[in-house]
Amino acid sequence: MSSGQFLNIENVLFTIAMIGYLAAMVLYWLFFVLKKDMVGKCADCFAAAAFLLHTGALVTRGIGAGRFPLSNQYEFATSFAWGICACYLVFLWKYKFRALGAFVTPVIFLVIGYAAMQSREVRELMPALRSHWLAIHVSSAIISYGAFGVSFAVSLMFLLRQKKEDSPFWQEHIPDERRLDLISYRAVSLGFLFLTFVMISGAIWAERAWGSYWSWDPKETWSLITWIIYAIYLHLRISRGWKGKSAALFAVIGFICVIFTYIGVNTLLPGIHSYA
Amino acid sequence: MKKIARIVFSMKFALVLLGILLAACLAGSVIPQGKDASYYLSEYSEQAGGAILALGLDDVFHCSWFVALAAVLCLNLTGCNIVHFPSLAVRSKNGFSPDRFRRSGHAKELFESSVPEELFQACGFHRLVRENSADGKDCIYGVKNRPGIWGAWFCHLGMLIVILGFGLGQMKQVSFAVYGVPGQTKPVEGTGYELTIDDFEVDLRPDDTVEQYTASITMRDTGTSESRSGQTSVNHPATLFGMRCYQNSTGWAAKVQVYKEDSLVQEEILCAGEQMDVEDKEGLTLVFAAFYPDYEEGEDGMPRTASSGLKNPAYLYRLYYRGEILGMNVLAANEAITVDAYTIIFTDPQNYTLIQIKRDPFTWLAAIGAVVVMAGLILAFYLRTEEVYAEQKDGNVWSVSGYSRKGGAEFTDLLVQKQKETEGGKSAG
Ligand code: HEM
Repeated sequence: MSSGQFLNIENVLFTIAMIGYLAAMVLYWLFFVLKKDMVGKCADCFAAAAFLLHTGALVTRGIGAGRFPLSNQYEFATSFAWGICACYLVFLWKYKFRALGAFVTPVIFLVIGYAAMQSREVRELMPALRSHWLAIHVSSAIISYGAFGVSFAVSLMFLLRQKKEDSPFWQEHIPDERRLDLISYRAVSLGFLFLTFVMISGAIWAERAWGSYWSWDPKETWSLITWIIYAIYLHLRISRGWKGKSAALFAVIGFICVIFTYIGVNTLLPGIHSYA
Repeated sequence: MKKIARIVFSMKFALVLLGILLAACLAGSVIPQGKDASYYLSEYSEQAGGAILALGLDDVFHCSWFVALAAVLCLNLTGCNIVHFPSLAVRSKNGFSPDRFRRSGHAKELFESSVPEELFQACGFHRLVRENSADGKDCIYGVKNRPGIWGAWFCHLGMLIVILGFGLGQMKQVSFAVYGVPGQTKPVEGTGYELTIDDFEVDLRPDDTVEQYTASITMRDTGTSESRSGQTSVNHPATLFGMRCYQNSTGWAAKVQVYKEDSLVQEEILCAGEQMDVEDKEGLTLVFAAFYPDYEEGEDGMPRTASSGLKNPAYLYRLYYRGEILGMNVLAANEAITVDAYTIIFTDPQNYTLIQIKRDPFTWLAAIGAVVVMAGLILAFYLRTEEVYAEQKDGNVWSVSGYSRKGGAEFTDLLVQKQKETEGGKSAG
């Protein structure tokens, strides 16, 4: 098969995956409204199927482009959505916490929707972008951002749960605050570990490509900002009394920073990452 | 004094410092950095511009209060680690025993079991301690992932090393740029070395985009005449005499020849953007403003290049006499500039390379710090210390408890689940 054919398959898989996420989102919401387990199970199936198709889209993209598909806005956005879904499915499997889907799928859908608006043209890479360290850097960013996406959704639930304390559905399907706090913490830990590695691998790449491992470029600075916010989150959880609500708020702010680091910095602030 | 130390070494103070660091980063990313004072005064209102300059926000990451902030954060991290070290060491040495477990109040019964040993082994506790407690009861105790308690400590240590490595690097690093075309040798200012560009290649793909830039270089110690050669390309710097040589950027250069009535009086290689004084005619200056490898006139009448291939070279020049402009034009390959008795021609267009030479003697320190941070994070998040304990009640019935500070309810839930699996759910839950 020619690379063009692979890219055509990618197009089809991507579109079906996007529709799949949309369907999963609607089903999760219905699950919330109708409160029927069957609907929830269906939503899980749609999310998992969309994820598989999405994986197929990324693989065919990689084959079609003849390189790791992580080099422009479109490729990173679609991988970012994939990362959130991957982390969500892991957390779903581990914590059997389906209602989270109602909060995660809109985020996935927004990110993949953003990807759909980007140019899908495959362009050859400039020499500085042809680096294994860059591929490692961006792959870890996907996992990190995915985990933060999950913690964002869990923290939103935490904040909402406080308002819905006496709803029986919330009590049955949404874990109690201590557990929500714990799940959010697990997601942030995963994200924080990988974000640290994102910064280290990025520094190694920058050192090899530009000769300086840290140059306070806006994108670097914003990843540090995000990192500090999550460091504050981690300490807030430890110091008693601040656990729970303020930590949840920080996880929400942290994810907003993640999104800004990813989209806002490229478009609003100048820097060496702006061609990415 | 003790009180001050307690505040300075506290986590609350650390959070305040992180907050200030956050604000500094925000300012540094939003306000353009390193511009002239006049820029801030004209771009922002007079008061805002004045405030930016007064607070050093025009160069946040190098201003004195930022350096002081980093120093205080280091102090805070060091203090925090010193304060916590003794208790961690004691806990690590003597903190994990059945007796400790009971005394810390963790021995709260989760369920009863008839086969606690089997259960604990199923949960991954392979080395179990069996002993008689003070009140004569049999007990079984197991602990897993003990190094996990050091996670945060190592993370803090690593951060400290990273900040130190980065800070020292900022103070001690040196950086030089040398550019030229193959065959040229230039001094690396202030180092006693000189750099020869042996070769420079630009690999183009069929669509004229660049695949790679590769320079072959030789560095020579002018004192000892010792020399080292290497190749540097984008993402693959060479290391010569402990200095990292980066293929940083490229551009076009050309040979400029000045003739006076048919005899060559001056010949130089000029890079686009450079200028030269015509030695034979005082006051005459030539500026090689731009080069177009595949020249064409754009729709707006401005010169531009149709591709990056060397197909139809043209040179944009400006000529000055005692500071007054004499002329400006685009010169095709076979054209010449004539001024009085002088003829100037451009030939041999070729790529020049800009090699950035750097030495940061502390990168290794920051790298070690980064490894320690990662190790600390893995210890803190994924080696969660867990303890299990069973105390015989009567006969074959044991009271089982478990504790994990980081694992929380997740760990005790796992114990309950494993209990159901090992005993088929027949025990009381
Ligand atoms: C850049 C600065 C810092 C970073 C990146 C950092 C990172 C961390 C991390 C990752 C943890 C583990 C959290 C967890 O297990 O959930 C932690 C815990 C902790 N940090 Fe920090 N920290 C920083 C600064 C500080 C400072 C300056 C202090 C001191 C006052 C401090 C005090 C603590 C304490 C007391 C813990 C809890 C230790 C434990 O659970 O055993 N941190 N920190």
